[in-house]
Amino acid sequence: MLFPETPTFSIASMLRRDKWLIRLRWVAILGLFSGVILLKFIELGPPSSLNAMAIVAFILVGLNLMYLTYASAKKQFGMSNLVILLNLQMVMDLFLLTVLIYLTGSAESPLSFFYVFHIILASIIFPGGFSYLYSLLVVILYSGLLVIEQSSFVEHLCFFNEFHLMNDSRVVIGIWFVFVVTMMVSAYLAQNVTERHRRVRDKLEAANLKLQEINETKTTFFRYASHEMKAPIATIQSTLMVIEDILGTKADPRVINMLNRAIGRTSETIGMLKDLADLTYGNFQEQQHFESLSLRELLVGLVSDAKPNSDRKSQTLTFTSADASFDYFGDVNALGKIFNNLISNAIRYTQESGSIQVSLEKVDLNYVVKVSDDGQGIPATEQVNIFKEFYRTSTARKLISEGTGLGLAIVMRMVELHGGDIQVDSQEGRGSTFTVQLPFEEEL
Amino acid sequence: MTKKVLIIDDDFDLVEAMRITLEAAGYDVIDAQDGEKGLEMIKSESPDLIILDVMMSSMDEGFHVAYKIREDADIKDTPIVMLTAVGNQTGFQFDPGKDADFLPVDAFLEKPVNPKKLVDVVHQNIKV
Repeated sequence: MLFPETPTFSIASMLRRDKWLIRLRWVAILGLFSGVILLKFIELGPPSSLNAMAIVAFILVGLNLMYLTYASAKKQFGMSNLVILLNLQMVMDLFLLTVLIYLTGSAESPLSFFYVFHIILASIIFPGGFSYLYSLLVVILYSGLLVIEQSSFVEHLCFFNEFHLMNDSRVVIGIWFVFVVTMMVSAYLAQNVTERHRRVRDKLEAANLKLQEINETKTTFFRYASHEMKAPIATIQSTLMVIEDILGTKADPRVINMLNRAIGRTSETIGMLKDLADLTYGNFQEQQHFESLSLRELLVGLVSDAKPNSDRKSQTLTFTSADASFDYFGDVNALGKIFNNLISNAIRYTQESGSIQVSLEKVDLNYVVKVSDDGQGIPATEQVNIFKEFYRTSTARKLISEGTGLGLAIVMRMVELHGGDIQVDSQEGRGSTFTVQLPFEEEL
Repeated sequence: MTKKVLIIDDDFDLVEAMRITLEAAGYDVIDAQDGEKGLEMIKSESPDLIILDVMMSSMDEGFHVAYKIREDADIKDTPIVMLTAVGNQTGFQFDPGKDADFLPVDAFLEKPVNPKKLVDVVHQNIKV
């Protein structure tokens, strides 16, 4: 689509601009009529020119009435049609202004100042580089007028008297008046742009504030819920374990199985509540523990911790990096959660004897950690969702029934805590690569 | 003589679960619902071990109780096992060895309480 809808260029806002343009045109028409009457009164300019100017004013009245009746029908118009209509109005205005300039003496006419408004208007009304197109159109119209006059295709109309312009105070006052109008209209238009901009910014700020509030409410809820629910569930599990312990082998094996399943489910629930608490990690300053550390050492440790799990599935798990310490200032807990999650996901969702690679490198002012596997991969349609809370891919659900769908949301949260970025690159059946970028500040 | 264990915890069901386990293991179990009552009972009952919940009326009531026990010459040698879920909530992990200077307890036990672990911890730490 040529004109995508944005908050500043929606159909509603274009309609508002259309109405505004029509209102402005009424003011211009009023000015034109008053000008003609005034010129007649002070006997400046040839009567034929003044009559022609009055005709132009009437044409404008007719056109503006037409635009106005259209404006009510325009609600059903699409964005492109609206833009075309507004452009037609603007081009017509410019053409009529050029006629007025011709009638008032072309190069001698001070009305050429008024071209400026149309360029500013174009920049207010249309998106992108329309003001440049309009300045080009203005140049073409004005040059065209001068050229056809110079080449005597049309006769030059001498609007002012034959003698030197400055000798006639009426002309000086006329030019002064046009100058004043130009300055004031420019101020009005500039003010209008700024105001519009400020309104949009205020709206965005308000929206942003609201989003922050919602997010805080969510965070507080997560914290409260996980906090309040963990204790009773822990007690329930403690109770179940005591019952299981006391019953021992005496009970019906079905009862023991049932108890074990119940204990398993309470464990899952506690795990989920812990994950929820992790999602709020770092929202409260006192929780953060940023310190200087070696990213390489941290990763070597995590990879060797994960080795028993990959060995159990006969997978190869390797770590590669340049032989440097990769000094970083970060939160050990959070970084551990990030890479533990990514590595254990890779192990979990990769088939037996698959391979998993963890790599660390320095790219510009970022440490880039990649966790790649040759496992199931993630379908392209699901990739956008994997960092959302509670989302689990179809493959993940098929392979492993339990899981909260919070792991990657936590990873995302922790990466954000470090001002970093995480991306996934995956092909179904070929494997996935998770790339974490952690920016660091170069020491001076 | 049967050893006496005092459980200071405001969660009745958890106290009951621990009581059943510990009584089955041959201990006498008494309990208190808050730190204040707990301190009174330590003095009147002289238990051989205290199981203390870290989070009762406040986030760290258990710690304050532990400090008070250690400050009182008559009872300061009573072993304390601290019951905690805090470690999981803030990402803060206690290590009795490393943090012994400012955490005056002998052992930690994480909720949910595994009966076998409970008996083990009590057995290892109780006054001989």
